[in-house]
Amino acid sequence: MIRTAINRLLLGIVTVACVYTVTFVMVMIVPGNPFAAGERNMPSEVLSALEARYDVNNPVRYFGQFLAGAVRFDFGPSFQYRDWTCTQIIAQSLTVSATLGFLAILIAVAVGVPIGVFSAMNRGKWFDHAALGFALLGVSLPTFVTGSFLLIVCGVFLKWFPVGGWGTLGHIPLPAITLSLPFIAYVARLTRAGMLDALSGDFVRTAIAKGAPHREIIWKHVFRVAFLPVLSYIGPAAAQAMTGSFVVEKVFGVPGIGQHFVNSALNLDRGLILSTVLVFAVMLVVFNMVVDVVYMYVDPRVRNG
Amino acid sequence: MFRGVLATCLILATLVLGAYSLGTRRERADLAYVNASGIGTLDPAAMTWKQDIRVALNVWEGLAAYDPTAGEVAPAAATTPEVSADGLTYRFAIRSDARWSNGEAVTAEDFIRGWRRAIEPGTAGDYAFFILDYIAGAREYYSWRNAFVASLSALPHDSAERTRLLKAHAGEMDRRFQRVGLSASRENVLTVQLVRPCPYFLDLCTFATMLPIHASIEQLRASQNGINLTNEGLVAYDPQWTKPNYRRNGYTGVVTNGAYAVESWSFKRFLRMRVNSFHRDAETIECQTVDMVVIGDLNSAMLAYERGDLDFLPETETAYVHELVRLATTGERKDLHNFDVFGTYFYLFNCIDAELQGVANPFVDARVRRAFAISVDRALIAECVTGRGEQPMGNIVPTGMIEGYAPPPPLQYDPAEARRLLAEAGFPGGDGLPPIDLLYNTGFHHERVCDAMAEMWRVELGATVRLRGREVKTFSEDRRARRFMIARAGWYGDYADPTTYLDLFASENGHNDSGHRDARFEELLNQARGLNDGRARLKLLRRAEARLLHETTPLIPLFQQTQLIAIKPYVQGLIPNARLIFPFHRARVNR
Repeated sequence: MIRTAINRLLLGIVTVACVYTVTFVMVMIVPGNPFAAGERNMPSEVLSALEARYDVNNPVRYFGQFLAGAVRFDFGPSFQYRDWTCTQIIAQSLTVSATLGFLAILIAVAVGVPIGVFSAMNRGKWFDHAALGFALLGVSLPTFVTGSFLLIVCGVFLKWFPVGGWGTLGHIPLPAITLSLPFIAYVARLTRAGMLDALSGDFVRTAIAKGAPHREIIWKHVFRVAFLPVLSYIGPAAAQAMTGSFVVEKVFGVPGIGQHFVNSALNLDRGLILSTVLVFAVMLVVFNMVVDVVYMYVDPRVRNG
Repeated sequence: MFRGVLATCLILATLVLGAYSLGTRRERADLAYVNASGIGTLDPAAMTWKQDIRVALNVWEGLAAYDPTAGEVAPAAATTPEVSADGLTYRFAIRSDARWSNGEAVTAEDFIRGWRRAIEPGTAGDYAFFILDYIAGAREYYSWRNAFVASLSALPHDSAERTRLLKAHAGEMDRRFQRVGLSASRENVLTVQLVRPCPYFLDLCTFATMLPIHASIEQLRASQNGINLTNEGLVAYDPQWTKPNYRRNGYTGVVTNGAYAVESWSFKRFLRMRVNSFHRDAETIECQTVDMVVIGDLNSAMLAYERGDLDFLPETETAYVHELVRLATTGERKDLHNFDVFGTYFYLFNCIDAELQGVANPFVDARVRRAFAISVDRALIAECVTGRGEQPMGNIVPTGMIEGYAPPPPLQYDPAEARRLLAEAGFPGGDGLPPIDLLYNTGFHHERVCDAMAEMWRVELGATVRLRGREVKTFSEDRRARRFMIARAGWYGDYADPTTYLDLFASENGHNDSGHRDARFEELLNQARGLNDGRARLKLLRRAEARLLHETTPLIPLFQQTQLIAIKPYVQGLIPNARLIFPFHRARVNR
């Protein structure tokens, strides 16, 4: 098990290195100069001096320097937001996104799993149809629609929560719920499918024949198998929830990391592009590794090779 | 057991992260307003966005400030200046009660420090020309510094020769700067020597670029081997000097001299201003705290305003802005204000490049430019396409905004004359015209305006127009490189003088994206530049604008820009004004 974990770790490092290299090449070949974009009257000699100062015109040196800095969590200056370093930007925004992402995944599991289980238990009945309908809506409705709806109803009409911004506990629930909706839907569908698949298994028939209580069969035997696909999904879903919340951040005015993925590319902010991509890649790799380890613990078939 | 531990860990992690990310709890500020994009920079020398300038002008105080109530420039950190008879020398006596937020007195040296910094290569921003073009010796100093920076580029990075040159240059810099027309006396008087008379110089002094900088910034100046220059020859400061709680080398955070000090600043979240307790008006300022809140989506910002979380929206570009404009115009909502601002919405022709990507550019011929310009029905566009209450305008300088300036006759809508001009230029009925490449930035109503103009040109002139929408960065680069035949443009005036618009079409101006060159126009501008007589000067500028509109026509003016803002009825003292300047220390909140 430890050997497998080490293998995964090495593979993860290689993956992050590949992602960094490919992103770096793309950043370097994209047209436009991060300094020229803002300063219209800047003389060419000053532009060259600034490029030299930040190693913009020396890709090989920049590649190594950025990587060396990144290992020490020093991502260098942001070219767009001069008053801040990329590290400060990432530190401030990642905690926000991580809070929302963790909460969204917790809500998704806490709500999606029971829906999926009861839906499978009541296959073909009204609850199943309602759950499937909810899942379809959850996956199909874009978050800017659900977010705006929640904002208007819970923020403006009911005045339960503040509208937009970040800074109090009241700012958390609406974006977290909005972000969790597609994940709830997906988790519910995965759980339902897993449950239906497991329910038709021989071991269930055996358990029933042996007279095991219904509740025990469902939660101890069937659910344990049915949860495995959900577990595989949680890793990438957590990374996606933490970094892919651009729309939710926009609607609720949440200062998360998602906006920097998009804006840093639009602003040609090379340092911030590389920082955000690196952080996302590391998170994706780490979450998948954690899921793999948990998987090994939960599923004896994986643990025993 | 394992599942329980895992779930507990997840919940704990969420709680810890949540607590950290929320930060310390803030009480609601006396006044809260929105800034959708957040702050680009708080460095006055570098800032160009009006959202940044809005904060800067509340936390710093220049020699003069624009008073929205009176609609004119008034003295601020200095008393009314003494101006020499030839209009070339200004003497500003710094007020004895002008104080920095740490209690120290504001000095004339602080202004010189700020202005010098604003023209240093690498720091100088888009508005450095406020100093370079007007203050004697500033341009020469800047060129000397630029030449030195350029000379270093040929030398190896760590060579002894480079170090020797850097040392010699650093020693020479102060002596060279003494030739610039700025001096401070013991009586705390700042004397400014101008290159030429500038009747609107006091107006320039209201701008962010002209703000003073506290001496503590020197603690963050980059130096190596005892030389206060970077290896590239630049004067550089730790860019984090603008933060209120930044500590390094004895630096204790940004010190400002305005009515407010920056209390806290969280990236893309908020910036809190608190009254500068040493400011002369501190005791009479009602709004003790002001929050600039970042909400990227203005639809959400409007909801926050409706709910009462925000008191003031200086920007309201929502999906239902037309309805808001209607409510403001009909007076159904007293808190909404739609008004003309000191800005023009126009389109530019590429006047200079004979060929663009292998296609002949017909707009090198002024007759074709004029034909296209007078075949646009701007009244129809303002009424039916944009619908935000804009005044259609056939001039480049907004009318009625500059005292004493009588604008020339505007461009008139005249499709018959347009067809005649086009035929005269060799394109009768549009025959022989290549497809017209029209560049615009996506968003707002730009695309609809382009569609309308393209249709007008098709119907009136027989022209085929290809619209090329680009996101704003690419658009700016394409426009700067003149990769267009016609491009969207807009300009907000920086000071109350026609040159803030007319200079855009001067051949050497960095913003002259049309490539317009006209000897007569330049001659008129130069004649006006040398004059100290305000009336004669404005007459010359009127002739220059007339030439621009009716002879060389590098642009199609469409309308004067408008702005819709929302101010809660319980907030008094924030006056809607054409320059969009809002001094918060004048606001009174009575909820």
